[in-house]
Amino acid sequence: MADGILKAKGIRRSFGKKNVLNGLDLELHKGDVYVLFGSNGVGKTTLVKILATLIHSDKGEISHFGMSAEDDLKDIRRKIGFMSHEPYLYRDLTAHENLDFFADLYSIPNKEKRIEEMLKMVELYHRSFDKVGSFSRGMKQRLALARTLLHSPELVFLDEPYSGLDLNAQAMLNKVIEKMNQEGVTFFMITHDLEKGMEIATRRGILSKGKIIDDDNAETGEFLSKYKEILGGEGH
Amino acid sequence: MRVISATRAIFLKELRIEFRNKQMINSMLILSLMILASFRFIFEFIDFSETELASPILWITFFFSGMFALAPIYQREVEQGTKEGLMLAPISASSIYFGKFLATFIIILGLNLFSTMIFFAFFAQPMPDMGMLLGIIVLGTIGFTALGNLISAISANLSQSQVMLPVLLIPILLFTVIMTSVEATFQIFDGAVLADLSNGIKLILAFDIIFVASGYLMIDYIIEE
Repeated sequence: MADGILKAKGIRRSFGKKNVLNGLDLELHKGDVYVLFGSNGVGKTTLVKILATLIHSDKGEISHFGMSAEDDLKDIRRKIGFMSHEPYLYRDLTAHENLDFFADLYSIPNKEKRIEEMLKMVELYHRSFDKVGSFSRGMKQRLALARTLLHSPELVFLDEPYSGLDLNAQAMLNKVIEKMNQEGVTFFMITHDLEKGMEIATRRGILSKGKIIDDDNAETGEFLSKYKEILGGEGH
Repeated sequence: MRVISATRAIFLKELRIEFRNKQMINSMLILSLMILASFRFIFEFIDFSETELASPILWITFFFSGMFALAPIYQREVEQGTKEGLMLAPISASSIYFGKFLATFIIILGLNLFSTMIFFAFFAQPMPDMGMLLGIIVLGTIGFTALGNLISAISANLSQSQVMLPVLLIPILLFTVIMTSVEATFQIFDGAVLADLSNGIKLILAFDIIFVASGYLMIDYIIEE
């Protein structure tokens, strides 16, 4: 049995009268690339932000690496990375300065070497000293990936990572995920890009009506039919 | 050690961004000049004692121009979507508070000193004890910036944050640090010696300590949702 990297049980979250997450359960094991699909507005981003310790759930229990966010928040945050729609980058700083700043926050040893490695990985080394404000959306997303992976997290959350990326950058992202996954990094991704998500997933699920429908064992065709059926039921 | 290195990183980041886009510096400079020029213009027509009004003029200038510097401190993080990036880092919220506080303090103090020079250029004043005046400006600016940072963090999460910042800040600051600093500065212009100011200095120091401690104790709850 693989190690339990993340365990979430009975997660509930509502906004006003709208129940977004309705007693959701999830377990991630070391080395998973778990891709969660779902239509717009079903609560994917809310879920990933709860799992990444950015917002609180109303009810339920979550443990990361056997630790609780209430007692060991900093230790958990040291081990996780999160790439969101927002790149979390300062537009008045250069690519290098942005990574240098986050390297200081995470107390990364040999930070210059690591920053260089990351900038080369996302193919932005030649733009190291350009301000992020002059970058395209795709370049910001690539730099955001470098920021996410800078401190070598063991668990990485990706929220719609393909949005804003061109085909080459999407392929590069999947290559990075595969490489890091082979090194033991666990990924949890939410996306509505079925093709790209299915390509990379080792486990998959669908978020519907505030719960995850796990379909690890279904054949691809069967999974896709189920997904379409759920989307239809939600009025898409 | 981690707290100090995180505070230092945030402090340097804030200064680097500010000196690059000059958002705070330009607003403060322009507003300071406008306020002082307006007072100069008024005194051409009305016969008031400039010495008696020197202290309130100086602190009104510091107060309103400083307010412009406070608004973007946390608002910028929310607007650029970088607040969550800071929250994700394994650092304490107090590092964020102190890093931002120190950077804002340096910028506001520098501009307050610049405004003071402009003030003496605009208004022909007998020179007061500059050491004591500088001391009161430093102490007053500490309290102003400490509370201002805290209120800026609170208002950044609210709708209409630009309005909420002065609404929350003015009543508290006016009746604490500003009033005490105005009184102490008035005494300095009136030729007081250090011993005459001791009560005023103690009071401003007490407000500084209360505001810095409040920031340290409350920032965690404000930043984490």
